[in-house]
This record gives sequence, C-alpha cells and structure tokens, in this order.
Amino acid sequence: MSEDEEITPHPLPLPQLPIPLTPQQVQPVHPVQPVQPIQPVQPVQPVQPVQPVQPIQPVQPVQPVHPVQPVQPIQPVQPVQQMQQEATEEIQMATAEAPVTGQARMDTAWGSSEGDEDISEMASIGQNDTGEIFKQNYEPWRGELNPRWMRNWAILRHHILGIFKKGHRPWGIPTRIFLVLVFFASLSDAGLTLLASLIGDSEFHGWWGVNRDNLYGHVLGFFPRNVMYYPIVAALLVGGVISEDRLHGTSALYFSRPINRFDYIGMKYASVAFIQAIIIIFTLFLYYLTEIIAFGRGWAWIVDTFPIFLGALMGGVLLIITYTSIGLALSSVSKGKFFPGIGLLAIILGTKTLAIIVKNLFEREILYLLSPYDCLAHVGQTLVRTQPTYDQYSWTWSLASLIVMNAIALYVLSSRVSSMEVTRE
Amino acid sequence: MEPERIIQTQDLSKFYGPHMALENLNLDIKKGATGLLGPNGAGKSTFLKTILGLIQATSGEGTVLGHDIRTEGAAIRSRIGYMPEYDALNPDMDAINQVRYSGELLGMNPIVALQRAHASLQYVGLGEQRYREIKSFSTGMKQATKLACAIIHDPELIIADEPSNGLDSSAREFMIDTLINTVKQGNRSVLMASHLMDDVERVCDDIVLLHKGKLAAQGRIEDLKAIDREIEIHVWGGASKLEAAMIQRGMRVRREGRVMRITHESEELTSEILLCASQVGAQIRRMHEYEASLEDLFLVIMENLGYDVKSSEDLFKHPIHARKVDAPGHMGGGAS
Repeated sequence: MSEDEEITPHPLPLPQLPIPLTPQQVQPVHPVQPVQPIQPVQPVQPVQPVQPVQPIQPVQPVQPVHPVQPVQPIQPVQPVQQMQQEATEEIQMATAEAPVTGQARMDTAWGSSEGDEDISEMASIGQNDTGEIFKQNYEPWRGELNPRWMRNWAILRHHILGIFKKGHRPWGIPTRIFLVLVFFASLSDAGLTLLASLIGDSEFHGWWGVNRDNLYGHVLGFFPRNVMYYPIVAALLVGGVISEDRLHGTSALYFSRPINRFDYIGMKYASVAFIQAIIIIFTLFLYYLTEIIAFGRGWAWIVDTFPIFLGALMGGVLLIITYTSIGLALSSVSKGKFFPGIGLLAIILGTKTLAIIVKNLFEREILYLLSPYDCLAHVGQTLVRTQPTYDQYSWTWSLASLIVMNAIALYVLSSRVSSMEVTRE
Repeated sequence: MEPERIIQTQDLSKFYGPHMALENLNLDIKKGATGLLGPNGAGKSTFLKTILGLIQATSGEGTVLGHDIRTEGAAIRSRIGYMPEYDALNPDMDAINQVRYSGELLGMNPIVALQRAHASLQYVGLGEQRYREIKSFSTGMKQATKLACAIIHDPELIIADEPSNGLDSSAREFMIDTLINTVKQGNRSVLMASHLMDDVERVCDDIVLLHKGKLAAQGRIEDLKAIDREIEIHVWGGASKLEAAMIQRGMRVRREGRVMRITHESEELTSEILLCASQVGAQIRRMHEYEASLEDLFLVIMENLGYDVKSSEDLFKHPIHARKVDAPGHMGGGAS
C-alpha cells in the first residue's frame, strides 16, 4: 500500500470535528487551531471551504489531511494565521536546535514507512546532511613582489640551506655526511698546526705549519685532497643540480616565473661554488688564522706570507670554478645525478692518469694540458711559487687550457639550459 | 561595459626555421575563463610560450595584462600563474615547502611565501597533506600542488595546461570545481588548455581553437554552438530514401545509422522533413532540436578544415595522423 493511499486522520485535534458538523458546532473556529503541528504537511486544501464559516459542510475535505497545501486560504480566519506563524517559529527552532540522530538520518535516506516523520528531525537533517567539512575559500593577496635580487637570493638560499636543514633543496644524506667529513678532514692541517703550537715541537710544526708548500698542498695537493676530497665533493654537488630539474620537470617552476636563464645558471653555479668554497677556501683561511693565533704571528710574518696565502686562495678559486663549470655542464646534458658525478670524476682523474702513463712511457708531458687537475696544479705552483713539477711547457699553456675548458663547459651549460622547456621536455 | 581584455595579439607569427608554428594569430581574450583547444601540433604550446615571453615571436605583437610579450616577459610572468601539464615538482620535498619555494621564486618574502603556501594548499584541498613528501602523492594531489604553486601570489591570470589530465573522477571534479571557484569567487581569469571537452565546457565561457598555427574559431561557447544548430531525427524504415530526399531538397544531412541530423537553416525545416518522410514512406519516431556539445562543435570545425574524424579522440590520441596531414604532399601529408 502506498503512502498516498494510507491516509490516516491527522492525529491532531483538528480533524476530530464530527462529520457532518452542524453550523453551530463549527462556529467556534477553535477546533481548527490544533492544526499547528501539521505545518509540515503542506496541503490542507479542504480548509478553503472553511472560509464562509456558516455552512460547514465543506469541512469534509479535511478528512484526507494529506495534501494540505495552501494554508493560505485560511488567512481570513484569524486564529489560523496565528497557528501558521507559531508553526513557522517552531520549525525554525527545530532547525536550529534539534539534534541529528541516527534514526533521523535513516528517515532522511529511506523515509518512514508511515509517512508521518517528525518535523523537527526532518528540519534538522535538512540543515546537516550536506556533510560539508571543507569549505573552499579563495583568499586574495595584495602584497608586492620583491625585485630580481630577492628571486636570485631565493635560489641560492634554497640550495645552500638544503645542506643544513629540511625544507630546502633535499641533498641526499650520504652527500651531507661526506661534506661534513671532508670539511673536518680539510681542517686536519689547521688541527695539526694547533697541536704543534701546544707541544712546542718545531720539527712537527715544520711538517704541518703554514708555509709555501703546505698552503699549496691545502688547495692543490693531489693526494689526498684532489683524489679523495674535492673532486668527489664537486661530483656529489653538481650531480643533480640541473639534471634533476630536467628529470622532475622543475625547470618549469623556474622559467614560468620571472627568472631568466642567466639568473638560473648563475645562482645554481654560485650555490655549488659556495659550498665548495666553504670546504676549500674557508678551511684554508682557518688554517692560516690558526697559525697566526696559535703561534702569535705578527704583522711582519703576515706581510711575508700573505701573498702566498693569496696565491693559494686564487688557486682554490680557479679549482672551484673549473670543477663547477665542468660538473654543471655534465649535469645539464643528463637526466640524473649518476652520470654527471661519474663523468666529472672520470674527466679529472682519468685525464690525470692518462697523462701520467704517457709521461712515463714517452717522457712527454703535453697530455697534462688535457687534465684539468694538472693545469690547475701548474698554474697554482706559479701563483704560490713552489717548486714546479711541469718542466716541458710554460704555465701559460696550462692557463690557456683552463680557459678553454671552462669556455667549452660554460657554452655547453648555457646552450643546454636555454633548451630547457616550460611546456614539456 | 566592454569586458577587460587580458590577452590580445595582432598578426602574431612564429616560425621555427621553415616550419610555421603560429601564423597571423589575431586573438582577443577577455577576462574570465577561456579554453584553448586544438589538436597536437596546432600551436598551443608555442602560443603559451610566446605569451609567457619565453620565446620571441617572429612577427606581430601582443599584450598580456597590458604588458608587451616581446619586451616584458618577466613582468608578465610575475602577474600570471602557470600550471604546467607535466610533473614540475621535486618528489623529495614536502608540499608546503615546494609551494613556498615557488612563491619565493616570484620574489615573495620567505615568511609571506610560507603563509601563502598554507592558504594555497588549503584552498586546493591539501591542507591536511601539506607536510607529506610529494613522492607519496597521487596524481590528483600533484595536480593540486601545481595549482597551489600557480596561485600562491594571487595572479590575475592562471594558465592551466591540461589541469585534469590523468585524474580519477573525484579528483577531476574537484579540480574543475576549484578552477570554477577561482573564476567565480576569486574573480580571476583562467586560460585552460585541455583535451577534455567536457571540462573546458564546464569551466570556460569562451574558447579559442587553434589549427595548424592558425585561429580556427574564437568566441563564446554558446554562440559558437548556435552556429551548429541541428534537428535530430530517429528514422524507422526508408532511412536511406529519406536521406536522399532531404539532400535533394538541399538540406545538409549527417547520418549515423537511423539517426540523422539536419542543419537547422530555415524555420520550415521540420515541416520539410516531415514532408520528405511522407513522400518516401519513412517513419520518424523522434524529432528534436539537437543541442551540440563542445566536442560536436570541435568536430564540425575540424571537418570544415578538411579533417576526416569521427571524434576528437582521433585527433588527440593520434598525433601522427595530425602531423601527417600537416606534412607536405611529397612526404605523404596533405599540405601543399
């Protein structure tokens, strides 16, 4: 049986009027008042005939209760209006306060079988069944963007701070550990100088203290620094700096912003170079400073040795520039950090090995011009004025070779970066 | 009042050597949501790169938000938010820092960028996942993160390249609703390049259709659809005869089995169809005005341009086919 067919008389007093009613009985409109609670059940068409008041026969239609649509016609009868108003208030109260129960939810979903749902529950469900937890609000921003230097600083900061803290460029844990180890290993000469000052052994100080050979060795000594420390540091740093932007598509993040290719390369280059500088040049400075402080060196000593320190420092700068240029060029032509890292080590150590073999077999040093390390060492020996180990050609050839190497690397780097896409790779 | 123009181009052309990527493009895109459509190789990517100021146009000129695309690329990119089609996120970073960094790259102060990153991620529905690493995100979450990166500085124009690509239905719904909300509630403009016609139709009021580097159609979707008004009839018996009779009477008929669509060109069309049917003894069991979808419109335009396609899928899923058409005749293509 459908709900429409099973129409029971309304439980409220309203329909209790005897049928047929006499006009006298109908007179007191009161019996109609109880209709209040019915409000939800809109259609009460039959009420229309009540208007004339006197001949109450028309009240018959009240029986069906169900569609009680327009309570409007009742308007003329004052008390009914009042009822309507009260009912409206009641619904509002129910809407605002009625709790949502499991039963109410079930009724909302399936409806009660009798069709006589409780108004208050219906109303409260109507308000709560959206289940809206997340409200999407667009928040405008009226701030101003900072100029170019701030954007460049953001790139530099992102890469450098990534070594020390989370939330910036995620360098790998092995890379971070290795950098820390190399940093302390690079300070070994400073530590030994300090030790020499503590034990007061001049021979020991002669081995480790600041002098021409040791300053050169701090930056350009082959073993262990240019076998185990600096090339590996450079390889770990340059490996993914550009190649991973290509791999992950993060180049689009840069180039869809007001960042040009020059700034992009410049800041990547500067950040890699800066981290190497901390390990190579900052430790050189600490080494020199330790000697001054530990042995109480005066101005005369500083004036004597400072040019040598500057020469070593320039050698270190050349080393950082060369390793960074070659490494970033390799990074720009690949999509991953393995190839650039291994490639850089192969170039630095492979050419050196090849040049040594050729020299030993044929007593020709010319192949050293292909080795970045040997060119750096040759120029560095000149700058620091240590005993030269390259006899067959002038240091200017090594300098020229370095310039050519850097030029080729920067050309490859710039051309590859300029081909990086925003839309797709 | 005349609506504000956000992108205007005049005779914009771009050649890559002998290959023409854009040819005399005259566009006038107004504030609001606009769809950028076109088959592969139509010049959409070139157009986007040109208006971003990343590549120089060979000739012609244009402005984006009042900035010259030839000389003020950086200013344009400061005022727009670009959401790339492909992955553009570092998988090892968490979402909040990735979005913050994208704000810093625009020149935002780091503290402000962090605040805005929170707001943006909340807006795109990733408020609870913002500290998760991006590599743990689903495709939908990655798309949402890219959108957050694009809107962090509250840009006036958001260029969304295939924003709903590869998303499941719920993620797609959310992305579309978010874009609609950005336009309606945020009062921002969206230029949306997409292959999904339904999405474009839901988000955008206007479309720009490119084909072989040229402008094939531009305007309000509703207006463009009205060009292609048709009456659809379902015929039982004598369909071929009816088709022939209607064609003979000068009607333009498209037929797929027993369903025919006749271009609605005159007010008497329905009576003429019925007349034809009575003459050939065919039964018309259903007749109604056919409301074209954007996909239908797209197909009609492409057919007019000489493509033989059954659906937009044909064009979008088989770029080789499209390129073959573009190729010169001696290489097997249709171009002269």
